Amino acid sequence: MSVPTPSQRKGLTRRQFLGVSWAGALAVLAGQSVVALLNFLRPVTAGGFGGLVFAGKVEEFAINSVNRVLQGRFYIVRTEDGLLALWQKCTHLGCAVPWVEEEGQFHCPCHGSRFNRVGEVIGGPAPRPLDTFPVTVRSGEVWVDTGKPTQRSRFDPSQITGA
Amino acid sequence: MIAQKPTTPARSGESFARSSSKTYTLVEIVRGAPPQMIDHGPEDTVFAFPVVALVELLLALGVTVVLLLMSLTMNAPLEEIANPNQTTDPAKAPWYFMGLQELLEHGHPTLMAVIIPTILVLFVLAIPYIDNEREGAGRWFTSARGKRITALTALYTLIVMPAFILVDNFFPPRELLRGIVPDLVAQGLIPAAVLAVIVLLPLFVLRRYRPTNREVMLVLFTLLFVSAIVFTVTGFLFRGPGFKLYLPWKMPGGYNPFLNL
Amino acid sequence: MRAKSLFDVITHSRVWRSFFRHGWPDNPLDRSLVMTTNIFFHLHPVKVSRRSLRWQYSLGLGLLAVILFLELTVTGVLLMFYYVPTVERAYTYIITLQTAVPFGQLLRNMHRWGAHLMVLVVVLHMARVFYTGAYKPPREFNWVVGVVLLVLTLGASFTGYLLPWDQLAFWAITVGTSVAGYAPVAGPTIKTFLLGGPEVGQESLTRFYALHIMVIPAAILLLTSLHIWRVRKDGGLAANEVKEP
Repeated sequence: MSVPTPSQRKGLTRRQFLGVSWAGALAVLAGQSVVALLNFLRPVTAGGFGGLVFAGKVEEFAINSVNRVLQGRFYIVRTEDGLLALWQKCTHLGCAVPWVEEEGQFHCPCHGSRFNRVGEVIGGPAPRPLDTFPVTVRSGEVWVDTGKPTQRSRFDPSQITGA
Repeated sequence: MIAQKPTTPARSGESFARSSSKTYTLVEIVRGAPPQMIDHGPEDTVFAFPVVALVELLLALGVTVVLLLMSLTMNAPLEEIANPNQTTDPAKAPWYFMGLQELLEHGHPTLMAVIIPTILVLFVLAIPYIDNEREGAGRWFTSARGKRITALTALYTLIVMPAFILVDNFFPPRELLRGIVPDLVAQGLIPAAVLAVIVLLPLFVLRRYRPTNREVMLVLFTLLFVSAIVFTVTGFLFRGPGFKLYLPWKMPGGYNPFLNL
Repeated sequence: MRAKSLFDVITHSRVWRSFFRHGWPDNPLDRSLVMTTNIFFHLHPVKVSRRSLRWQYSLGLGLLAVILFLELTVTGVLLMFYYVPTVERAYTYIITLQTAVPFGQLLRNMHRWGAHLMVLVVVLHMARVFYTGAYKPPREFNWVVGVVLLVLTLGASFTGYLLPWDQLAFWAITVGTSVAGYAPVAGPTIKTFLLGGPEVGQESLTRFYALHIMVIPAAILLLTSLHIWRVRKDGGLAANEVKEP
């Protein structure tokens, strides 16, 4: 009985099978390494801030005022209805947006985006209103959870926390 | 030098002993100029050593001198320590990204910062695969016609792109149409359509002259290259506090972009 | 037999001959051997055409880019002796470097201006290659390598921009990385991976430092070698494509 030559056989030869197996195993190994690398590079820290920040007492914020809380990187806006915490980060390219009292608006120096008192875009290239943080009022103290910025497409009175 | 093995037996006094197992042998090393190759035209070449080595040395010395002079006359900028609560006014990216930042001023970020740059990079990568004729390499602009096409395209871009920036700056559809049409139209479709027309117009004109692939590439790359220069210069030199347009010598607050390089 | 000069004795010694496998390059054979037996020269061809040597053709921009990269490597390594990538100390170390270290300010200036020049030169090199049609077959792949090198050069400069940790650095990087964040699907992920967090901070400084001093320069070195080697394999500068009497 003669051994068939590779060309006579159907399907894979042993040599081809081993080659494909090796190549496959190496590809899987490379894939695993890439996944491991990506997991390794994934940031583990939440950043410099991100916890509950004490903004102040409710009575410190006058009605219709905009107050900056530096350590939390946000603004406390007091309207007639209550409090709103706006992240100072411009939704366009991440600059810190200053409140300009004379203009009565937030005016970003980077690209001239302008936001009104409650963070809605009234001019410039910003694609959405300023992000908000959840506000809780406990026995007259205003606490802001800076770990949970919320994106929104428009201002809605439900975003305001009563005070 | 390699020569066919001669049929005559080896004579004494030859420089190199011949091996009987080889059909070729080193006969002798000739001092002097090498012979010219056949069918290659006059060979206009020189030995790379020492010419190229000297050119490299001189360039290295020149670069070092220029760098030293620059470094002795100008100090690298250093502002106050970083403060995440206080944005500088204006806040600008490094100069080579100012073209992109200027572009961002004229439309929705997804269009200006993602779609357009992606198209540009893919176009640049694809150039040699679109224009894949070997002819025309090794000469500036390939031909006199290519030179003319490049010059005209550059002139066209130098007029149209600043005009686009100025018109968009003083009559921005974003602000004029705010609340009238959706943002997607005012910041996305309108600038995209305008830019598409600007890019396609010269191609449309060129089509009448039956251009080669190379000439189409010349138009497109020149559009891209000169636009990049226009946008970079505008963003770097003409944008002042609030990222508003100013003449460079009339910047409010004495802002000097060169101090922030 | 006349006495050998000291020069001859040295250049014929076994030690010298073990370093250099060629004689004094004043003849065609040794001029060829210089190029083929020396690692620093072996990226060059033995012979080059006069046409490709004309400065009006290439403007020497590719060479300038390599030279600037080498100078940036030297000045950069020296700066590393006086720099710590921490938010608390990076800025004060730059101040110390500029005010107390002899030639510190000069070295920082050279690194800064050299980086700007390198970006400029690489962009101009690309324009030169395009306008002379040097991307045409068989050089397509080398054009692609060149585009990657341009991106790496921008990356090297951009990551270095953050390191002084001053206002200029902080806001330029904030704006620059926010642009990347707009890319669909992968954008926010890329931004977070680059910055190591939601905003520019210590993690960003650490990551940018590693990219700036190791990852990107190593990639540039590797790809530049490939780029130059490929220039030779594809027949030297495209100027050689033109056959003129």
